[in-house]
Amino acid sequence: MRLGFLVDLSRCMGCMACAVSCKAENNVPLHSWRLRVKYIDQGEFPDVKRHYVPLRCNHCDNAPCERICPVSALHYLPNGIVNVDHDRCIGCASCMMACPYNAIYLDPLTNSADKCTYCAHRIEVGMMPACVVACPTHANIFGDLDDPESEISKYLKNHRDVMVRKPELNTHPKHFYVRGSDVALDPFAAERPEGYTLFTEVKFLDHIGGH
Amino acid sequence: MIGAEVTFDVALPKVVWGWLVSTNMWAKSIATGTFFLGLYFIVKHPKQDAFFRKWLPILGIIFIGITLLVTILDLHHMFRFWKIFVFAHFTSAVTLGAWVVSAFVIVLLLAFWSWVTGNKKLLDRIMIPGFILAFFSTIYTAGIMGEATAREFWVFPAEMISMLLSAIIAGSAAYLAIGALYGSLQENIKRELGWILFGAAGLEAAMIIGELFFAKFHSEYAYKTVEILAFGEVAPFFWAGLFLTFIIPMVLVGIANESRKYQYAVLGALSALVGLWFIKHAWLIAPQCLPLS
Repeated sequence: MRLGFLVDLSRCMGCMACAVSCKAENNVPLHSWRLRVKYIDQGEFPDVKRHYVPLRCNHCDNAPCERICPVSALHYLPNGIVNVDHDRCIGCASCMMACPYNAIYLDPLTNSADKCTYCAHRIEVGMMPACVVACPTHANIFGDLDDPESEISKYLKNHRDVMVRKPELNTHPKHFYVRGSDVALDPFAAERPEGYTLFTEVKFLDHIGGH
Repeated sequence: MIGAEVTFDVALPKVVWGWLVSTNMWAKSIATGTFFLGLYFIVKHPKQDAFFRKWLPILGIIFIGITLLVTILDLHHMFRFWKIFVFAHFTSAVTLGAWVVSAFVIVLLLAFWSWVTGNKKLLDRIMIPGFILAFFSTIYTAGIMGEATAREFWVFPAEMISMLLSAIIAGSAAYLAIGALYGSLQENIKRELGWILFGAAGLEAAMIIGELFFAKFHSEYAYKTVEILAFGEVAPFFWAGLFLTFIIPMVLVGIANESRKYQYAVLGALSALVGLWFIKHAWLIAPQCLPLS
């Protein structure tokens, strides 16, 4: 079994139900996110378009976070999930430096690294991840990549525009996007107007975890 | 359609590895650099080795101690640091570094014992393993940077050489400064230390300038990182680092060695030690200033 995720970006309407359900299901603290939805605006009025891209851990087959973790707190489960052992984590933040998808955070309450686990606790008892259940348009498709009859496998087979984020890094993500675009997955690489606008100045958090 | 911009994203943490990690790299450069150069001078000038047999272990223990201290302080679970030895994951350069540095500490303690007891043979016996451990202690950080896939800017092949040159700069500068403080360095040693500092600073400056201004960047991320480094929010650290670590020491050491006024070399050494922290800090922070989404 190799569990994977696929997002049909043509179905996503940016409602954030997945992000909220993830927060609620996993008790994700304030200022931390396991799943977030990014908005990308493209074009100039009146020829404009908005893309919504849900971002979560890609559960890479060749996960840089697993490789760099000095104590194996990040480890593979037999079903392909990259899981976190909070009790083992020493809080060195190497995984945060290694993850090219910004999918890992240091939980300010536990001081341990944390991230999306594809709701491993729900999968264990035969339930779907919370974000899949909450999505009103069934944009999130989850299943076994090794099972040719699973919905995700059929989706991957039937769509020629399957994409992953940052494929050049050879992380082999198990998180796919269909009906998306380069602009949506890597807006930084797109031609863009000069300067910041009211909504595009990047804000950062100064405080994380301990210290 | 042109112009794609992220118009909504959550606020993510910015600098995760901060000044403690910069201090780790800086202190480690001094500890391993003094070891490399100490061995070199002990082997090359056996009749003038007393200074190096004394200061090699003292400086090494002090600065490797600082390295270990800031490393542990930077952990968000600092009292779990022992897990790195019990649950060691050897694909991680962090783990390899912890083990290698720990072994290097043992070598330094033996070197210290050798100086205290006057047993020169003890240090002579551990020179080769010590050299190997100092070498890997210096470069393991390049391994961590190489594994930090998210920050492409850190993943460059010359990082290892750059760290070795930093160690040589730091080691020669530290010996020049200590020599001036205790007035116990012969002129020929001062001159040689000065030229070593001069050469290492020149080589590393060429490497950094070449990497930043002439190399091809493979992604927008790396390109933007260079902009942040040279003209963005860490630019003061970067330019101060370039001048203090490379240019000022080269000029002052050149003047000192040519005019035989070695107080200039000491000023250059102090400048290099301060500048090295600045440049390491700029190097560390710049790639973290970019959002990865």
